[in-house]
Amino acid sequence: MPGLLLIPVLAFFIVWNTIPTLWLLGLSFYRFSLTSGRAPIYAGLLNFQNILNDSGVWLDLSRTLLFVVSGVGIQTVLGMLLGLLFWNSQRLPGRRVALTMLFAPMVLTPVASGTFWRLIYDPTFGVLNAILRGIGLSGTNFLGDSSTAFAAVLVVDIWMWTPFMVLMTLAALASVPKAELEAAEIDQLTWWQRLRLVLLFHGKYILMLGILLRTIDSFKTMDLIYNMTFGGPGTTTQLVAITLYRRAFEAFNMGWSSALAVILLLISIAFTATFIFVLHWRDKAEA
Amino acid sequence: MRTSWREHAYHAVLWLVALVFFAPIAWILLSSFKTADQILATPPVLLFRPTLDNYVQLFARESFLHQLFNSLFLSISAVLIAVAVSFLAAFSFSRFKPAGTDFLMFLLLSIRMLPGSAAILPVYLMYVGFGWKDTYAGMILFYAMFSIPFSVWILKGFIDGVSPRFDETGRVNGASWLRIITRTILPQVMPGVIAALIFNFIFVWNEFLFNYIIGGLQTSNVPVALSTGLYSSGGVDWTFISALTSVYLVPPVLVVYFFQRYLLVGMTFGTVRGEV
Repeated sequence: MPGLLLIPVLAFFIVWNTIPTLWLLGLSFYRFSLTSGRAPIYAGLLNFQNILNDSGVWLDLSRTLLFVVSGVGIQTVLGMLLGLLFWNSQRLPGRRVALTMLFAPMVLTPVASGTFWRLIYDPTFGVLNAILRGIGLSGTNFLGDSSTAFAAVLVVDIWMWTPFMVLMTLAALASVPKAELEAAEIDQLTWWQRLRLVLLFHGKYILMLGILLRTIDSFKTMDLIYNMTFGGPGTTTQLVAITLYRRAFEAFNMGWSSALAVILLLISIAFTATFIFVLHWRDKAEA
Repeated sequence: MRTSWREHAYHAVLWLVALVFFAPIAWILLSSFKTADQILATPPVLLFRPTLDNYVQLFARESFLHQLFNSLFLSISAVLIAVAVSFLAAFSFSRFKPAGTDFLMFLLLSIRMLPGSAAILPVYLMYVGFGWKDTYAGMILFYAMFSIPFSVWILKGFIDGVSPRFDETGRVNGASWLRIITRTILPQVMPGVIAALIFNFIFVWNEFLFNYIIGGLQTSNVPVALSTGLYSSGGVDWTFISALTSVYLVPPVLVVYFFQRYLLVGMTFGTVRGEV
């Protein structure tokens, strides 16, 4: 009975995941280009060596790290502040519409968001530059200038995902028992003490899960950048997912790309393990 | 009266925050009612006579209607398959805890944590090899596979919350497992099923990369059209883009409005429950 119920999921899993992953793993040890028309040649660890010695890959990885750390960091701080601000919003007129507006950015099609931000950032007819010129500043080609492109993309990511951290903060606040809040009121704890002793004490697991999910998602960022800058200008916004895309589906260098995909897979497994670890930690604390 | 004044100010600030986050979306909606000259005007115009021409032209394009159909067809069929299959697996994981449950749950989750270009690379090679590229079956089954981890995680969480006493009572009274699942478990985990359906739908609806790589002319959805059909007659066709974007953004925004209480579960793989 238990096995029978699992068969469909296992079938999906084996055909669309296990077999492709093994294929990927195998290919990462071969020299194989789709454009050359030659059969794969066994190359041992050559692809991995090439990747680890490729300064471009290291640059893209460190850029991705900067993107993840600064993006998720700002989203967390801003999201917690806005979450605290929305804490007592129960009597807000039109609350549901307001929250829909606030939460909308995170569920929109990333490709579409990327597209309309390009319109907003446009150097000649974009509304942002019009505002800047209106207050006497000079216009900037935000996405086309290598000194501003990274920040411009980061701003869009922050716009998209700060609402998620607001949502997580509200969930963390909702998890605090009412009695404790009343006790904090009676004890006249300071604002900072309340945050630390009440919110962080009860809500820390939810916030940690939120930050982890955001870290993983941010590490994967692809669609948004694909349509805004495609990694450019130069490689100033090229995150590692774009690097892989370019090597695999533009240069068709499948052996090298497979090896990079295997490395990313290992990183993802580490993230997943951390996520599950926090889940168990929470379950143990709540038991 | 002082408190009431403070409350008004507080509410005004909250609305201001919501409007700031919505402003970029409002701008594309506004643009979709402009003529080409008005979109490209410097400085941008705020007041203008709205036109529906962009929408008329959008829906007159056969390619757009085809891609919109693909978006709907792919998301709905993939999600229905995924949730049905996942429900059985989640039930098995929750009730019988077969050996390797934790490991399988872990593997399932790791699929969703991998960058898309890494996940699609071997599937692309497989699809090219088997000739499955640009087929509806190939697309739907791949999307179903990709929706399974999320669905299993959400549904297992919900089924774990239903006491096994319900099953026992059913067994004692001679009900079959099928009857127990459909009559006692399913009604109690309906919120989980709805959340899994809704958020997988949004995922496939928004998905671009996989469709672009393993799809083709026949199966491409609107996001693919949006990224690859940006240019017409030398420049970006912003009237077309803004109308298309506006139409496409409607379902996700409606989901946030109508399913607000599932948002938390849906955005966290079911690991965080509650309402905001």
